[in-house]
Amino acid sequence: MARVLVADDASFMRQMIREIVEAEGHEVVGEASDGDEVVEEFKRLSPDIVTMDIVMPRRSGIDAVKTIIELQPNAQVVMCSALGQESLVQEAMDAGARDFIVKPFKPDAVISTLQKVLEKPE
Amino acid sequence: MDLAKYRTIFIEESTEHFAEISRALLDLEKDPASSDAIDTVFRMAHSIKGMAASLDYAPITELAHRLEDRMQEARDAGRVPDGDSLSLLFQGLTTLEGMVDAVKEEEAPQSAPPALLTALSAPAQRSNPPQPSEPAPPAPAEVTRSAAREPAPRVAVEGATEVTAPRPPPTVRVRTETLDRFLSTVGEVILNTSQVRTSASAFDTKRDSALGEGLDRMDRVVGELQRRALELRTTQLLRIVEPLPRAAREIAEQAGKKVEVEIEGAELEIDRSILDRLSDPLVHLLRNAVDHGIEIPEARRAAGKPEVGRIAIAARREKDNIHISVRDDGAGLDLAGVLARAVEAGVLHQDLAEDLPPDAIAALVFEPGLSTAHSVSEISGRGVGMDAVRVTIESLGGSIELVSERGEGTVTSLVVPITAAVQRVLMLGLAEEIVALPISKVERILEVRAEQIERSGAEAFVLIDDELIPVIDLAERVGIASERGEGPVSLVLTEIRGDRVALASQRIVGQQQIYVKPLPELLSGLRSLAGLTILGDGRPMFLLDPNQIA
Repeated sequence: MARVLVADDASFMRQMIREIVEAEGHEVVGEASDGDEVVEEFKRLSPDIVTMDIVMPRRSGIDAVKTIIELQPNAQVVMCSALGQESLVQEAMDAGARDFIVKPFKPDAVISTLQKVLEKPE
Repeated sequence: MDLAKYRTIFIEESTEHFAEISRALLDLEKDPASSDAIDTVFRMAHSIKGMAASLDYAPITELAHRLEDRMQEARDAGRVPDGDSLSLLFQGLTTLEGMVDAVKEEEAPQSAPPALLTALSAPAQRSNPPQPSEPAPPAPAEVTRSAAREPAPRVAVEGATEVTAPRPPPTVRVRTETLDRFLSTVGEVILNTSQVRTSASAFDTKRDSALGEGLDRMDRVVGELQRRALELRTTQLLRIVEPLPRAAREIAEQAGKKVEVEIEGAELEIDRSILDRLSDPLVHLLRNAVDHGIEIPEARRAAGKPEVGRIAIAARREKDNIHISVRDDGAGLDLAGVLARAVEAGVLHQDLAEDLPPDAIAALVFEPGLSTAHSVSEISGRGVGMDAVRVTIESLGGSIELVSERGEGTVTSLVVPITAAVQRVLMLGLAEEIVALPISKVERILEVRAEQIERSGAEAFVLIDDELIPVIDLAERVGIASERGEGPVSLVLTEIRGDRVALASQRIVGQQQIYVKPLPELLSGLRSLAGLTILGDGRPMFLLDPNQIA
């Protein structure tokens, strides 16, 4: 069971991810609705894994990944992206994100991606 | 997964997003290079797209995607292109709103009109190319995405991660229905408490100190509960004024006019039940300002005014009232025209019309059956006249007035109470009955001898401050037999539509803070009653609406 921090500016998406990961027995320890909040919550909660939306107010998901990786180089961050954001996903991966999931979320794909990252931490 | 739950969240979130998009588009109209506004529309469209895709609403996903693409272009170019692109974005927004309305009605959203999709999919028409200094690539549609490699304008990180702007406090969503039930229950608690108080007065609470202390404590707690509950009933004015700039823009566009709407004081909080009824009157005043106030650009130029008309909606709080004014810098009221129409409509006799002062002429627009429009336009001609506006405002316990200067513009000002639920009332005895009047309506209370009331036919008058004031016998009006004795008569001076009136009753019972309950369904047609409360002894007491008794 992993402790998950969910970052997305839409509560719709946060609830959806929460439902998917909780159904698998993981615990959602916190939610963040913008790029600043996710950094703060990361520092406060030290989650096992972060799901990170790319497009968020205040600070983009990509900038948030960079800050989090600076804070803790082996942090596990999975990007949430939409179709058409491939280049941004690549930028996030270059910045230290471990993997990505694509909206609209398919529960199986979300779980298998999280599982993969959790089992093979760098 | 519980799709119904996500559908509800989707409707709520996208409705909020629409408001933000609308605000941002209006900002972009003023400043096409506002990066905040561009960013907001981009993010909101993106978020709507993501939600819609999760729920398989393909038409919404597609349209939101196109809007997002256009905003990505605007981000890259540092501005929205001039010309039609803003109108196009507004159209996109209106179409999206229609689609979400369909979802609300549990219907499948229809595809957007192909013409709109095409217009939104082509790189926005750049008849006005961006400034040469801007490195905006004239990107064909397929390439726009690669432009995303240029990262979005960023918030500087610079290690100073602690510097964060204040975030709004966390909130929860509650269904209005649930809230209303809760508030109604709080109302019952308040009424029951005063009943318990009345019953307890039969005991000697001095000797039974536990009872007395208990009652005092209960009063304090219930008072606190009442204050908290009233806070819950309030909503920001923002909810009803936020759509106004966009509405004005649409009305103006149809009439070939240009307007800019400024809003001040939208953060003020007001009782939800009042707020809901204030929306239509405000929209009407706005329509009037655009339709009859603001001139067409040529006429404005000729009058030496800027082409874009200005409408300022300003709200401020004064004690327990909110003052809202709608001010335009348009042509002003055609007083001669109003007068002619009033005479024609039989509202005013020709002889009286001769030397009516300007403010009295302006007040005529609130009379039923008077429309000042030269041609009933599509927008203003929907049957809600200024008289309907006045009736609504007055039935909320408020008042409205209009001041206009030919060539300079018009200001309509209205005053409404902040809360309707708890009111301080004056209780008047009519034979065995007790009725209540809102204290805010009472100018003065005085006692006169019966013979001081002069009668001529069915009319009665009393001389107060050298002014002959009509007297209305409340008991007679309410339909309770009144004995016209020799004893003193209690008169309550009040103002009804600008005129002083004295309401006669047999005795003044006192003042009290009451929790006003809405009238039960069966009585709701009685316009002279504004509500009721239950007295300590369990009897109902009706709250009169003075505007409707005279």
